[in-house]
Amino acid sequence: MRTILTLSTLLLSFFLTNLHSQDLFVKSDLQGLKLKIGETFEPETYAENLKGERLSCPYTFYYNKQGVFSRAKAISYDRNKGEIKANAPGKHEVVAVCLGLGDQRLSRTFDVEVGYAMVKEITITVPKDNYVSTYLDLSFNVVDEQGFERDGQKLNLTSSSEILSIDNTNNVKAVASGTAKLTAELDGVSATVEIKVSENPLSKIEITSNQEVARTGDVIRYTATGFDSSGNEIKNLPFEYTFYGKSFDVSESAAGTILNDGRFVAEEPGNYSISATLGDITSSKPLRVVARDIKREVYRVGNTVVPDKRTSDFWIFEGVDGRDYGVTGTHSADGTAFFWDVTDPTNMKKIDSIKVDARTVNDVKVSQDGTIAIISREGASDRKNGIFILDVTNPYDVQVLSEYTKNLNGGVHNLFIDNNHAYVLGTGERYYILNIEDPTNPVEVGMFEVGKEGQNIHDVWIEDGIAYSSNWRDGVYLVDVGNGIAGGSPSNPVPFSNYTYASGANHAAFPFKSKSTGTFYVILCDEIFPEGVNLTEPEITAGFCHFVDFTDLDNPVEVAKFEVPGTGSHNLWVDEDVLYVAMYGGGVRVVDISGELVGDLFRQDREIGYTMTGSPNGFIKNATMSWGAQVYKGYVFYSDMYSGLGVAKVSEDKPDTSNENQYIERTGIPD
Amino acid sequence: MKRLILFFAFTTFGFSQNYYLYVAAESDDTVSLIKFDGKSATELERIPVGIKFAETEGPHGLTVDPSGDYWYLSLAHGNPYGTLTKFSTKTNTEIATTELGYFPATMEISSLTGLLYCVNFKLYGTMTPSSVSVVDPQTMTEITKIPTGVMPHGSRISPDGRFQYSVAMMSGELYEVDTVSLEVNRVLQLDNNHHMNHQGMDHQGMHHSTTQPTWVIPHPSDSKVYIAGNSSNEIIEVDTDSWQIINRFKTGKGPYNIDITSDGKKLVTTLKGEGKTEIKNLKTGKTKIVDNTTKVSHGVVISPDNKYAFVTVEGIGGEPGVLDVIDIGKAKLVSSVNIGKQAGGIAFWKLEQ
Repeated sequence: MRTILTLSTLLLSFFLTNLHSQDLFVKSDLQGLKLKIGETFEPETYAENLKGERLSCPYTFYYNKQGVFSRAKAISYDRNKGEIKANAPGKHEVVAVCLGLGDQRLSRTFDVEVGYAMVKEITITVPKDNYVSTYLDLSFNVVDEQGFERDGQKLNLTSSSEILSIDNTNNVKAVASGTAKLTAELDGVSATVEIKVSENPLSKIEITSNQEVARTGDVIRYTATGFDSSGNEIKNLPFEYTFYGKSFDVSESAAGTILNDGRFVAEEPGNYSISATLGDITSSKPLRVVARDIKREVYRVGNTVVPDKRTSDFWIFEGVDGRDYGVTGTHSADGTAFFWDVTDPTNMKKIDSIKVDARTVNDVKVSQDGTIAIISREGASDRKNGIFILDVTNPYDVQVLSEYTKNLNGGVHNLFIDNNHAYVLGTGERYYILNIEDPTNPVEVGMFEVGKEGQNIHDVWIEDGIAYSSNWRDGVYLVDVGNGIAGGSPSNPVPFSNYTYASGANHAAFPFKSKSTGTFYVILCDEIFPEGVNLTEPEITAGFCHFVDFTDLDNPVEVAKFEVPGTGSHNLWVDEDVLYVAMYGGGVRVVDISGELVGDLFRQDREIGYTMTGSPNGFIKNATMSWGAQVYKGYVFYSDMYSGLGVAKVSEDKPDTSNENQYIERTGIPD
Repeated sequence: MKRLILFFAFTTFGFSQNYYLYVAAESDDTVSLIKFDGKSATELERIPVGIKFAETEGPHGLTVDPSGDYWYLSLAHGNPYGTLTKFSTKTNTEIATTELGYFPATMEISSLTGLLYCVNFKLYGTMTPSSVSVVDPQTMTEITKIPTGVMPHGSRISPDGRFQYSVAMMSGELYEVDTVSLEVNRVLQLDNNHHMNHQGMDHQGMHHSTTQPTWVIPHPSDSKVYIAGNSSNEIIEVDTDSWQIINRFKTGKGPYNIDITSDGKKLVTTLKGEGKTEIKNLKTGKTKIVDNTTKVSHGVVISPDNKYAFVTVEGIGGEPGVLDVIDIGKAKLVSSVNIGKQAGGIAFWKLEQ
């Protein structure tokens, strides 16, 4: 059979050799094709030369493309039957490829239109209470007979009464009291709802707040109460909250965030007015917003430069001898991890190193008792990767206790140590839980994975028996590994909450319970490199940290963000309602996260200070690429990919402004 | 006639020739453009190809479009799927990217269909069957995934473009895919020399190959393919007419990648476990061994004039990756050049006078 096929191919090639120089065009009865959902069609595709002569395609196939990234499934192709099938409504691109005519690859894209099925049902959702002079908060849902929802199609709206006013973009306003029937129609199918509009019962609105003077970033709660003409309170009114403001600084705009429940937070100092409105009744309350006034000097205490390798993660710990030590990894280098004596942060010393068969030691962690360190391994020459468990009871003479590679040959990117267990990422798909009571013989006791096609994990962090794993597009998973909240244990990890967000860039997570409010948050930081990799210049990064309120574990809510314009986020640490976050090219940022959190924390001027972590002697000189931060005994330790391990201190002093503009003053203006 | 022209072109005039290649450095997320002038190899350009600076995506497979206008690169790691990227040879800048499967690795374009066939190696994680991604390189659209064996590797196309061959490293199979029907045509079990079709089988509890094949290359004119048995330390010769193993040639430790001269006379195999390259005369059966510069020999490609074998050597840890140039006739290392860490994938671009 194969011989026949080969001969056929050869004969065909011979026959078609004089086609090489011809211009051939693909033609197909796909041109202008319209199908119904579920309909099949057997296309006829051929090639035509400039003379209009028709040549049969020895082989043809078809696929449905969408943009340039992946095949679409709106139209499928059954190669055995030679048929295409319409699976979804809309206009779709079908590529017809004609093979075997000489050495030319012939193809053409055709638009195939698949009609929508008939509209089956329209649903209109109407608020319970509607008042004169308000726009109605309506929603429409259109479903066709195939179950597809039709979004973005304009419905024909009509009202049985003039009490509803409908504008050109289908905004519906109640202009008088009474009852009206609102009808929405599309393709001959319609739905009608009865809407009752009441006179605005309000005579006045009283608005109160818990503060009359606030700082930027403070969340003020406004409560509107409505009263009728007799002075009786009317409950459950759908007030609309808005604000107006004037910044003290003429070069800034008053800005802030106001929520439907009346919470307001200002980003700029200034005079604001917060209003509650229902129909044409409104009431306002002034608010004076002053500067947060939390800026503090963040100065660098000391640093150790690793000039010839990129530095990765780090960990600072108290050794069994009571002195303080650190361990740092290296990235895209030679498999080295360094050990440091950091007892005197102004004079940190490299005291030992260990080199394993790897290119990247991305993560390093130390047990709570300061006796065991584990380093991760990527790029091993035998591709087994895994981890090395080290004895660090004497950090001046670190010893290898064991190497562990089972299920970890894909390279270990991150890990955590908690109560005689190591949580180790394997293959980027899941984390394995190893019992390391005998560190010379780690034993796998558990495993956790999201369990979805395409699952991908980047990091795991343990606190109070809960594992917080960052899973890129699958967001953060909270897993009971001994807390007891869901009956879990290291050998029986039990997930109990999850939060995802649109960008799918969840890279690291850190839990914290606010000391000032008691609210339980998990901070999720992105990692994004919008312009790919640059070998010789500092990288461009993007992304930010998402603050998610996990008070209701079944319904976590994203409430705030910390984003520094022009740079992206990486690893983080929280201590006493202060966030310490490495923002790659933006250095280490120190952020006040006390009190209730709503909106854009950076714009609210909650940043206490920052330090740029580059070094003139670094891997890339003077460039900052902050990796992570850790608060330890009053100091802020950090690692920087280009400069190594450093330490900073947040002073009680406000920033010194005495030198501001000195360079501008010294720079002459050229003629 | 062709041979006469080649002879005329390459020997009579004796012009100096420049050979151009692309080489991937898996642990540095770079691809190097290499020029070899007949005496020494130099790195003309080092092209960053990663996506996330702090994550190593692992550029693995490379191939150049038959027109020479584009080169294609598989990036093994993503979130979680790897990608295929199309670059211009004129500017070495990215043109388009598409997502494939787990750890997309080796690839080649069929001269018959113009499509690119890339194996999804799925080197890591659970050992389950993977696939061959078929991509239309013009639109950079993945048309389909064809299920094959466990850890497929070594995607190479028959000279007529009609069949794509790959080997499944952990299930020990040779797969033949029909490049037109986009279906598996035949499967050959390499461990025990009997036909075994795993299509539709439940692979739970399947055996782990004793052969662990890592590469397959079709002979340019005979109905044969040659397979590197990485664990069994052998080259397996398969007759594609009878679909049977007809020879097993012992090699050094860890044969990994193979290429064959265009005249079909010599087979060049990297010996990953020894840091060496083996040159085998297929007619006489005699072999010659060349030491590579460092350890962990990986990829190999032979120049169209059959003079040189270009071999990538990964190195260990912080060692640079190396491209070794071997004179096939003399079985001698004639030049080498350092590139990024863990040199692996390699593709020949062009030969210029």
